[in-house]
Amino acid sequence: MRWHIALALCLGLAPCALAADDKPATKYEIPYRLTDTKHVLVRAKINGKGPFNLILDTGAPAVFITKPIAKKAGVDVDEKGWGTFNAFEVEGGLKVEKVKTRVEDLVQIDGMNSMGLAGVELHGVIGYNVLAKFRIDYDFTGDKLAFVELKGFEPPSPEKIDAKGGDDIQSMGPLVKMLAALSGIKPNFEVVPRGFVGIEFDDTKDGIVVKKVLAGSPAEKAGFKTGDIVTSVKATDVETGKDLAKALAKAGVGTKLRISVKRGDKSEDLSIELGKGL
Amino acid sequence: MRIRAALIVSCFSFFLFPFSFPAAAEEKKPEEKKAIVVPFELLKSRHMAVMVKVNGKGPYKLIFDTGAPTNLINNRLAKDAGVLKKGDKAAMPLFGMGGAKVMDTLEIGDVKMEKVPVMVMDHPTVTAISNALGPIDGIIGFPFFAQYKTTVDYQKKELTFTPNGYVPGDAMQALMDKMMKGAKGKPEPGVAGATGLWGFSVDKADKDEDAGVVVKDVIAGSAAADGGLKAGDRLLTLDGRWTDSVADTFIAASLVKSGSSAVVVVKRDGKELKLTVKPTNGL
Repeated sequence: MRWHIALALCLGLAPCALAADDKPATKYEIPYRLTDTKHVLVRAKINGKGPFNLILDTGAPAVFITKPIAKKAGVDVDEKGWGTFNAFEVEGGLKVEKVKTRVEDLVQIDGMNSMGLAGVELHGVIGYNVLAKFRIDYDFTGDKLAFVELKGFEPPSPEKIDAKGGDDIQSMGPLVKMLAALSGIKPNFEVVPRGFVGIEFDDTKDGIVVKKVLAGSPAEKAGFKTGDIVTSVKATDVETGKDLAKALAKAGVGTKLRISVKRGDKSEDLSIELGKGL
Repeated sequence: MRIRAALIVSCFSFFLFPFSFPAAAEEKKPEEKKAIVVPFELLKSRHMAVMVKVNGKGPYKLIFDTGAPTNLINNRLAKDAGVLKKGDKAAMPLFGMGGAKVMDTLEIGDVKMEKVPVMVMDHPTVTAISNALGPIDGIIGFPFFAQYKTTVDYQKKELTFTPNGYVPGDAMQALMDKMMKGAKGKPEPGVAGATGLWGFSVDKADKDEDAGVVVKDVIAGSAAADGGLKAGDRLLTLDGRWTDSVADTFIAASLVKSGSSAVVVVKRDGKELKLTVKPTNGL
């Protein structure tokens, strides 16, 4: 009788177990950017603080962050230079609990930051201990990376290896900083919004034809009309939307510009002050 | 010290030595679009090691590294495979820098690539790992794997490469340009502009530390209005990217593919709403 009951339980449980196993592994779409140095950069919040800019780096055995970032995120560091994130959220909705991290000022990161070489400030790297938990698709023709959770897989921890000389590159830190100082290159990581115009247009064989002027926009105030053909910005000729975007690429809020348009047979010069918005 | 030795191979300090690669021939796009699976060995240091052939010689064991902006081989491999020719300049004393070279062919499993740029250097971290774990002669990085949709699976210990037509830019050239340009004091801030016309504005008070930004104006008849965005909404993400500052909002909008629609998540009356906005052609 007992045996029967046990069997029944097994049968009863088996489908449940299967059902749980059949549940598709969670897939995350992780937004990324390539830095100017061709590093794969994602953003993450540590203990709710940030976002911080981290490089995906299978060449690192663990997550690494710099000391100032550890301080900002309230990460306690032990005497050996390790800490743990209570909460770690990668942009795109991926959350990992209790992530071990190394806290160290790395010459690679400091060096790049001191000259702004990556084009963005770097705060650390995400290494093996997090990356190995996911099957990751890197495809730079798209704007997201796919992370699929590897269910039931616990990546084996790095083993201690007796490697000498691996720290040599860290000893170059002062040299990097000196070179940065000598080169005179100062980073500027600040990003400001481009100024707002407020026109919708079509690219046609006749040029950039204004299709719509948004109500209350700087373009409306400047006197843009539907059907205008935009011909130049300042003194630069523009023939396509791409040209126009390029001509305005560095124009921040409040920039005053002269934009020429063709209206019927006449040419008009319009003065615009770029506004806030997108 | 031991822990540190297993340290980052990648992001290595190439920036110390500004020189450009010899103009690499137009990279040839692989003809077949078929996925190629290459097994890797997970080293004790938890680096991925792959077997490669260079100029038909080898196989050599190299580390596959998503954090390396260049390919790198040591002097031993470079000489053995004829990447360094007799009469080439002697390596610089610092880490044996041999400089930027080109491998005529690079084979990883069934993947074969021609005219592949590579840095010749006895990288101290590679040397350290090599001394501890057996011969490892370099790093395979961005210029290789960027040309494929690359899948990394640590459970199966497999890399899968599917040609995707992506042409990796020259990181070295970009750095050169920056160094030439950058020496005139502090550069201007970067400017981020949306790839299309949305028709709304955002703001954030200085002392506001919460996630997201406040939607200020939504212009009637704009893409933002059509998508259901309303003044007073708290914009949390745009196309999956956090919008915790005005600048981040613009950066997110600058990364939306031109002509595509994007999901925006807003908080309204305490509830999160997912809206879809298709920015129009404009600015």
